Amino acid sequence: MRGLAVAQAELTSFDRQFHARCALQRPDRYRLLDALPVDAPRIARGGGVSYVGASFGDGVVSQSLDAFDRLLAFDAAAGRLTVEAGARIGDLQRFLLGRGWYLPVTPGHPRATVGGCIAADVHGKNPARDGTFRAWVDALVVHRPGEEPRVADRTHDADLFAATFAGFGLTGTISSATLRLARPPHALVLRRVPVASLAEAARVLREAANAPVLYGWHDGGAAHFGRGVVNIGLASSEDDEGAPRVPPASADLPAQVAPLPFPLWNRAGLGAANRWLDWRWRRAGQAPMALAEALFPLNRARLYFAGFGPAGMAEAQWLVPHPRFEAFAAGLAELVTRTRPRIALIASKLFAGVADGFSFDGSGIALAIQVASPGSPGERAFLEALAELAVAHDGRPNLIKDSTLDAGMARRAVSGFDAARARRARHDPHRLHGSELARRLAL
Amino acid sequence: MTAVVVGASSGLGRALAGELARRGQPLLLVASDARDIEAIGADLRIRHDAVVRCLALDLAREADPGARMTAALEALPPVTSVLLAVGLSRGDDDFGLDASRIGELLAINLHAPLAIVHALLPRLRETRGVVVLFSSIAAVRGRGRNVVYAAAKRGIESMYESLRHRHAGAELRVQLYRLGFLATNLTHGMRLPMPAVEPVDVARVVADRLQRGSARWYLPRRFALVAAIVRLLPWGLFRRMRA
Repeated sequence: MRGLAVAQAELTSFDRQFHARCALQRPDRYRLLDALPVDAPRIARGGGVSYVGASFGDGVVSQSLDAFDRLLAFDAAAGRLTVEAGARIGDLQRFLLGRGWYLPVTPGHPRATVGGCIAADVHGKNPARDGTFRAWVDALVVHRPGEEPRVADRTHDADLFAATFAGFGLTGTISSATLRLARPPHALVLRRVPVASLAEAARVLREAANAPVLYGWHDGGAAHFGRGVVNIGLASSEDDEGAPRVPPASADLPAQVAPLPFPLWNRAGLGAANRWLDWRWRRAGQAPMALAEALFPLNRARLYFAGFGPAGMAEAQWLVPHPRFEAFAAGLAELVTRTRPRIALIASKLFAGVADGFSFDGSGIALAIQVASPGSPGERAFLEALAELAVAHDGRPNLIKDSTLDAGMARRAVSGFDAARARRARHDPHRLHGSELARRLAL
Repeated sequence: MTAVVVGASSGLGRALAGELARRGQPLLLVASDARDIEAIGADLRIRHDAVVRCLALDLAREADPGARMTAALEALPPVTSVLLAVGLSRGDDDFGLDASRIGELLAINLHAPLAIVHALLPRLRETRGVVVLFSSIAAVRGRGRNVVYAAAKRGIESMYESLRHRHAGAELRVQLYRLGFLATNLTHGMRLPMPAVEPVDVARVVADRLQRGSARWYLPRRFALVAAIVRLLPWGLFRRMRA
């Protein structure tokens, strides 16, 4: 592919479970973006921070959208921003906060891009209040091989618009989007509510559904399983002068965190970390919280991710409906006691939406469970049993986070999987878009 | 006072446009594809509240690019700098090109800079402006690769000398940069003998020096040593260089 800025590159998923040597294109102009042979399989690549292999795969040209990060239109009065898909969320928040606006739904990694947030339909700091990313997108432009770019919104080309959210880049390359913005809270105060179990956390989360920031942290060790704290970030009218300013781009978590040569998160390390977190945070109280801290939580997690070592980690994320959650939590506690997996972190969040396609949405409580050395037999067995337990309680997995799922489990766990797959096929009948994720889950 | 950036849609040209907009300079941006140049123009207006005019111009086919640019400058403050960050190279530029491809390379790398400088010279002399030219390691010593490209870049170096010979420093300043490897899509995936420099870092240096007098510089500076070695290599050894 001479002259197309394509070279071979080693690409790795953020959880380090997938590596591939594949063709990486770095187009810096629209002409190059459209220049691949029409029948060449491709996939867009944003920040390269997807936990799973969503932006590369064997036999697929990964098209980096790094250069397509330009602001195309900004309506400062109405709060609308049209931006190219390669723009990084952290950069946008820095730009917008300086002008009295922000994006209310963003993932934790500041290097995620607008295109990536659409393709994954990410959720933010409180999905029950703000929905997922799709709720804040008015329109998008999709490039497909051999076709003119298509503008899609809720009334025009609505099926393509809907399918592109949580479409994992398989409906075409998103080149730009028009985003709706919100006014940021003047200041935040973080209220901490200690909880003894996941069931108690669920009750606290439901009572605080309208908070701008709402999530729980929980001990994943067998001895104190589920114990933790629910963090409720509330808007405050008090001045926030003591809070740190929005950090510069240089403080952003790198796309790839170099692992420590040895895993820090073995049983002893996890036990010590949980004890420290328990002592540090699991106490009732409230304190001012910088919005920057809420928006970029992963910037402080460099050592945490490095600590997984070369074996990496896996994140299982399941959304369980409210009526089934307590039974699911009890089953999970029993499973952890029995199998004693190396769980590094459990986070809980409240959801109040409606699932569409492959999206991670619905009404219930979501648990994100990060497991060290997921390739080890014990951890693998735990993750498989977790998936069975979740499915038995009508749980829905987050496909863009969980690299341990296979096609059979995805099909069983995602209601409407076949319909979503058929919709993807309508928009890419010749399967010109592909990835490791699409191959593994037979999307 | 307006700066004209030719080749502003990518690489060094885009970085120069961003750096100059950040410094509040009105800009005329020129590139071949309206989609790219309009996007960059919009971005710079939004981020920096910059005065930016965009001109889509295919330098490979435009017979008189200077005339189009002169017309586009009418709505802008007087022009004080022209930065010709334009360039095209081909992997098959090794005596394998047909006449039309040779013409295309010469048009973009040599004819267009010459025509643009000719057209804008009267305006630049009025403002004691600066012409900024960019050459390449390829121009140091001709090799079996980048044949036409290197010849064109030698032409650029000749233009630098001619401009300085013709115009005293008091009426026109001329700056020439011999660039090392830049981290652009042209070097993506290439095994380079030394690390590539980020275009934004080069752009910052170029912008800092815009008010200085005429001079010829290597960027990065260590590249001067590389160029000297290439120039002084015995012929027998030089012939064997393939990278």
